Amino acid sequence: MADMSMAEASRADASAADAAMTGAAGAGLVLTEVSSGYGAVSIVRGVSLAIRPGESVALLGKNGMGKTTLLKTILGLVGLRSGAIAIDGRSVADLSPAKLVALGVGYAPQEQPLFQDLSIRDNLRLALASDRLLPEALARVFGHFPFLKDRLSQRAGTLSGGEQKMLILARALMLRPRLLLIDEISEGLQPSVVDRIAAALAAERVANGTTMLIVEQNLDFALRVANRWAALKLGEIDDEGPVDGDARARILRHLSV
Amino acid sequence: MLLLLDILTTAAILFVVAIGLLAVFGVLKIINFAHGAWLTIGAYCAVVAARLGLNPWAALPLAFAVGAALGGLAELFIIRPLYRRPLDAILATWGLGIVVGQLITLAFGRDVQLTPNLLSGTVEVLGTGYSAYRLVALLAALVIGAAFALVIERTRLGLSARAVIMNETLARGLGLDTARVRLVVFMIGAGLAALAGVLLTPLTSVDPTMGVGWLIGAFMLVMVADASFLALAAACLVFGAAQVLVSTFVSPVLGSIAVAVLAALVLRISPKGFSRA
Repeated sequence: MADMSMAEASRADASAADAAMTGAAGAGLVLTEVSSGYGAVSIVRGVSLAIRPGESVALLGKNGMGKTTLLKTILGLVGLRSGAIAIDGRSVADLSPAKLVALGVGYAPQEQPLFQDLSIRDNLRLALASDRLLPEALARVFGHFPFLKDRLSQRAGTLSGGEQKMLILARALMLRPRLLLIDEISEGLQPSVVDRIAAALAAERVANGTTMLIVEQNLDFALRVANRWAALKLGEIDDEGPVDGDARARILRHLSV
Repeated sequence: MLLLLDILTTAAILFVVAIGLLAVFGVLKIINFAHGAWLTIGAYCAVVAARLGLNPWAALPLAFAVGAALGGLAELFIIRPLYRRPLDAILATWGLGIVVGQLITLAFGRDVQLTPNLLSGTVEVLGTGYSAYRLVALLAALVIGAAFALVIERTRLGLSARAVIMNETLARGLGLDTARVRLVVFMIGAGLAALAGVLLTPLTSVDPTMGVGWLIGAFMLVMVADASFLALAAACLVFGAAQVLVSTFVSPVLGSIAVAVLAALVLRISPKGFSRA
């Protein structure tokens, strides 16, 4: 992987995932004119985006464009002002986060993403509704991130930055999500950790056909783990397209202005 | 030695009274000013149990069940609708406390009620007689404290409660049914308050306003403990000691306000209270 260019790596990860897409178990997500925000301010203003089952979409945009708020709105953490959100054709706008997670939505947040004072094991446990499925789920995420196995009783706050990011992703994968919402998982990470996270996401898509909506600022990482992209600007989708030869140039235009 | 026993048993009683308030404060982030009313409800459960001719000890589980059930109703119909308005929720618990006090007055009158002694007599401790009941109260505090710690550290509910205390937004994002956690914790807190009310009956007079004084003390302790279980135990020991020492060597009147004065001092010096110690 080290001497492979980022573009080749991208094609390798994404095409391996696409090849396995038959029998995909991922969920479809359709956003129609979604608006939401806090107090008097609307942050997300009429976003429409359709993600087919098993697709991985990178949502790019500069800080403050509404990316995080959009993810929180999908999960029901921020109230929907207007518009519609449907998962597998079913409206989920009125559902609580607990119900959405039960439907198979996994979430890897960016802000205060871990219970710093709880052990790694308890952080992972909290992703499941019952401890009955814990051994199986732990075994699954150890497959992606073996270092967690020997450090279950360690406090999450004592992990390094990269390890914390891997724990956040591991926790989102615990319930074998059908739709994964990821918020800037590659932020501030060294390339070797970015590689491990990209590999875990690709493996998860291959194994389960997981649908992904990945909020990113790291363009290389986004192009590597997604097969489609959308650029968010001032709460609206400014442009979108497939991850192909033109993608980088088109996205850079949106990120630079 | 007797002084030490006094300190320990006083701390134990403070702990039993405050722990339900602490649980509710930690998870719901509101001070339940109806806590005193639930103490009173518990004490009147002892009165009712006595009138029904039940064994006095049967009042303990009865009070816990009644307190928890009424607490569940209060959470569902009064506190939950004010979920996003914590100040209004606190005010609502204050009003609820007044209403409960009046209802008890309507049903039982203003008079002081007599309750049967749970345990009378003294026990020989190192050559002197000591109130057997105060030792039972100490034991009760240890049992309640241990059970509480066990639930917090070892059960799924305890883990969920800790998660909500630490970071409620994240807990919701992971799919925790935080409304259910709040309900269950409020019921447990209310049940513990009622249980404490029964345990208080041999030590204090039972009347419709008995909870008020205890509420203030418990409130001070919880402010100082800042939702930490171990800090609450430490605060109870320190404040219990202050209360006993001031009462013994200065004046009983000053002793009863020692807790309030000391709490104000501690919070002035260290706003995080004992939880950082």
